[in-house]
Amino acid sequence: MANINWRTINIDALDPDSPANFDLSSLTPAVAPVSTADVQNNAQQIRQLLRGGDNEGALQGALENPPYGADDKGKEVHLAAVIEILQSIRQSDMSPILSRLYGAPGGTEALDVLMKYIYKGMAQASPSSDKRNITPQVTGFSQVHARGGGEGGGQAMSVLLSWHEKLVEIAGPGSIVRVMTDRRTV
Amino acid sequence: MSQSLRPYLQCVRSSLTAALSLSNFASQASERHNVPEIEAASSPEVILNPLTVSRNENERVYIEPSINSVRISINIKQADEIEHILVHKFTRFLTQRAESFYIMRRKPVKGYDISFLVTNFHTEEMLKHKLVDFIIQFMEEVDKEISEMKLFLNARARFVAESFLTPFD
Repeated sequence: MANINWRTINIDALDPDSPANFDLSSLTPAVAPVSTADVQNNAQQIRQLLRGGDNEGALQGALENPPYGADDKGKEVHLAAVIEILQSIRQSDMSPILSRLYGAPGGTEALDVLMKYIYKGMAQASPSSDKRNITPQVTGFSQVHARGGGEGGGQAMSVLLSWHEKLVEIAGPGSIVRVMTDRRTV
Repeated sequence: MSQSLRPYLQCVRSSLTAALSLSNFASQASERHNVPEIEAASSPEVILNPLTVSRNENERVYIEPSINSVRISINIKQADEIEHILVHKFTRFLTQRAESFYIMRRKPVKGYDISFLVTNFHTEEMLKHKLVDFIIQFMEEVDKEISEMKLFLNARARFVAESFLTPFD
């Protein structure tokens, strides 16, 4: 006990009544747990629709009941499915599809879910934050930008960025606020 | 402006506009204190979900919103080692003068090159859209600045090398 520096102890963390120990689960709406196998089945069905050429139906199906209650692996499976759909839709079709989704019943919720997936997709490509992807040059000089290694994931990101732009045009900045405040994460 | 830069900045702009809805919020831990909640992290319920906007894996903006403060961290494009050094020197220069930039943070968040901290007091005394414009403009200018510095550096190095080696010609 003597060799513990008591000045550095965060006493708020030890007090059950302190705001630092606020029970976050009281803010989260109840979500039904979903097993990874169910998510995988669902993703399979969505891919089937996608292969059949029904991009819009696939997107609608994917956004209808997002697996809020699934574990990290299940969420990743669903995210991969959504990203695949987004990448298979052409740029000129984005706005019409979004307007139709917005007009359908429960449309704002679907677009909020889509917004969550867009942000999650952009966050996903950044696990290598501590390691810089720089190609060392023998001379130390490189007049021309070294393309290739440093631009990884740029194509997938630009798809998500153009979806984001179209989505904000239709759903407004409120959908971004709902992504930030909703405790049910995708 | 290049084709893929515009949607990136547009996305950052709309995300920042949404995140900068701040209100005054006194500390719940100690009376008569008013601290940025995102830094203090003393009340988990007022901290919101963080957003990431990325153009590729080297250019990213990380926005951490909370009830009375938003922390914005930027990863500046670094294609090679020279740009890495230049970015380091440049951000160091700026962060040492952080108090003249009002919203700049003295130390970047881990994994990022430069961070800003906007509190409700900043949004009260400054115009919100101008704050967003400032950050967007910073992101535009910093890329330009770095590549310009790199060109100057290379030109100077070539000149120095040439004049150093003339006697041996």
